[in-house]
Amino acid sequence: MTDIPVVENVLKHNDEFAQLNRDALRAAGVSCVNLIGSPGCGKTLLLEKTLRSLRGEFRVGVLTGDIATTRDAERLAAYCEHVGQINTGGGCHLDANQVRQGMKALPLADLDLLIVENVGNLICPVGFDLGQDAKVGMFSVPEGADKPAKHPRIVLEAGLLLLNKIDLMPYVPFDFDVFLHDLRSIRADVELMQLSAASGDGVDDWMDWLRRFVAMKKEARAACTT
Amino acid sequence: MHEISIMQALLEQVRALKPDGALLREVHLEVGELEHLDGEVMQTGWTVLTSGSELAGAVLSITRVPVRVRCRVCGQEYEPEDVAVLLCPNCEAVQPEVLEGTGVLLRRMAIDEPD
Repeated sequence: MTDIPVVENVLKHNDEFAQLNRDALRAAGVSCVNLIGSPGCGKTLLLEKTLRSLRGEFRVGVLTGDIATTRDAERLAAYCEHVGQINTGGGCHLDANQVRQGMKALPLADLDLLIVENVGNLICPVGFDLGQDAKVGMFSVPEGADKPAKHPRIVLEAGLLLLNKIDLMPYVPFDFDVFLHDLRSIRADVELMQLSAASGDGVDDWMDWLRRFVAMKKEARAACTT
Repeated sequence: MHEISIMQALLEQVRALKPDGALLREVHLEVGELEHLDGEVMQTGWTVLTSGSELAGAVLSITRVPVRVRCRVCGQEYEPEDVAVLLCPNCEAVQPEVLEGTGVLLRRMAIDEPD
């Protein structure tokens, strides 16, 4: 028997595709957010509100991932011209090649921002680089306060964390102090925004974050090219 | 359940690296703790995906890589006992940079060379 030493990342192919996506987005001047959260945490509703508010301000494209159905894409298409649905056929996360295929159908040169709505899942999508500029992690009140402690990697890797459905706090058991303590035991320096996509509370903060994010990426790109 | 995706990627990688005609005996993976990959599910995935192929019977061995971080405030490196509590033992800041504990690495393959 012969031993062959190898040191190869098993996700090498994914990471190569992610880099291609990153290069294509950068060349087109598009900032990209990868939105990650559990099923039912409110990702699509938040995006509906976001797309409606940003219409006329930014040129936004959306790729939305689901195991099956085109329901999310249909919902979002009411507010945005450039929406693509990626069906993973059972896969619990989006990979970079799927996003690459989805990007081919979008007019990247005409966009400022690409939002990738990942498959509803707080675990698997975190490990797959898609070529995004930032991962945004989304929790919601009815999921319970223990979610950050149970999902430390999204806390560690997110550029922003959202806590959605704060309007439900009076009605469901959710200890915000525990949530915050657990979250801050993993990482003190990640921004947390509390909002309710349904009532609209806090959604303006998220919109402002997106505006700053797009502006910051544009400045960084301009600095790179001068 | 991203174990199956990982096993599929591994399978492709092994096929690309294995010399033609060699018999694969074992593959050795290092799996970061923060990947949240279940060892048993990976074993099942490996068995199912290799079944009936030229790789059938090859052993998948897995080493877990614990999380190791560096404090962004004081520079202290530490291995937290609990990945959900990343308080720096030196300065008590919670601004960890992850050094180890993510990623899945193919480290070694054992083969029987073709005659």
